[in-house]
Amino acid sequence: MTIYQHMSLWLRRFRQSSPFQALVILLFWALGEAIVRVTGLAIPGSIVGLLIMLALLVGKRLRVRTVRRGAEWYLAEMLLFFVPAVLAVLDHPEFLGLLGLKILAVIVLGTLTVMTVTAGAIDICYRLGKEDVDVAK
Amino acid sequence: MLQSNMPLFQAAFWSVLTIGLYALGKALYRRKSCMLSSPLFITPVLLIVAALLFHVSYAQYIRGTHWLVALLGPATVAFAVPIYEQRALICRHWGLLVVGVVAGSATAVVSSWELSNLLGLNDSLRLSLLPRSMSTPFAMAVSGDIGGAPGLTAVFVVLTGVLGAALGEGLINYLPLRSVFSRGALLGMGAHGAGTAKAHQIDQEVGAIAGLVMVLVGLFNVLATPVLVYCLGMTGK
Repeated sequence: MTIYQHMSLWLRRFRQSSPFQALVILLFWALGEAIVRVTGLAIPGSIVGLLIMLALLVGKRLRVRTVRRGAEWYLAEMLLFFVPAVLAVLDHPEFLGLLGLKILAVIVLGTLTVMTVTAGAIDICYRLGKEDVDVAK
Repeated sequence: MLQSNMPLFQAAFWSVLTIGLYALGKALYRRKSCMLSSPLFITPVLLIVAALLFHVSYAQYIRGTHWLVALLGPATVAFAVPIYEQRALICRHWGLLVVGVVAGSATAVVSSWELSNLLGLNDSLRLSLLPRSMSTPFAMAVSGDIGGAPGLTAVFVVLTGVLGAALGEGLINYLPLRSVFSRGALLGMGAHGAGTAKAHQIDQEVGAIAGLVMVLVGLFNVLATPVLVYCLGMTGK
């Protein structure tokens, strides 16, 4: 093998590695944050980054191969990134008593209600839509 | 051992401890899956115990571990990939997603408000509890807009995600849901990022839908919540 072939093989492996792909995604995020800072948009930078990357994927300017492994790594470890923020409760000792239980009740009951209504509404529409299709057949 | 004049050592210590306890939680969860052994439950609890033992405040802890929270940014960007890969499914049923986002967002505001009223929480808490079902940056923006305390909202959002991801997993098994849309939207709507991460663990399609719903919920709420709050005459009472 020539040196050139060695280099291109190594380069391909590097491009397929999750650390490199994670870095590519990180750059999209940085771009999104920069755009928000410059334009003063009311949307978080991460969402702007997501929309840009999605537009490039749909427009075939970016191959999904170039970012898939990196994305999988972020999504698999995403729960870790939430953990440090939970420790903010250390700053609110007043939540340790009855007030904390009340807030917890609002969060738990509210979230269960939201989930049930959302899933229920979609499922009902889905079944109605399906029947229409069946009738059309 | 953990004096504040060694910031670098402190940052390294808390980062390693956080990642280590998370890895431990994941290993435990793989052996025995239940809500108590979920890394989103056991890791923060053990970290709080450690912080109390070492007399470390939240400000000291987060100074060294903020970079982990910052990675939520690129993790959100990463959802472009599953959304792209499920684009055919999403394009075919986009109406269902709109139904879910609108129904879910309205329910989120009304249920949160009514429950807070019922339990007699004060105005600042009530308003801070409203924008809970969306990812943190959106929620903090909305909270500021409607007169809540964005710092408090951030805590509630994270608690909603952590509890919601666990509750949602149970609810999916309990409710007779037919489509991947209702399952994905349930987690993406109810528990934003953490729910989406959970959905991704359940199934690729469910994860993609949860991710898209999370994004739509955020965008929709930044525009709609202040209007809804104004219409219902919730502020100033």
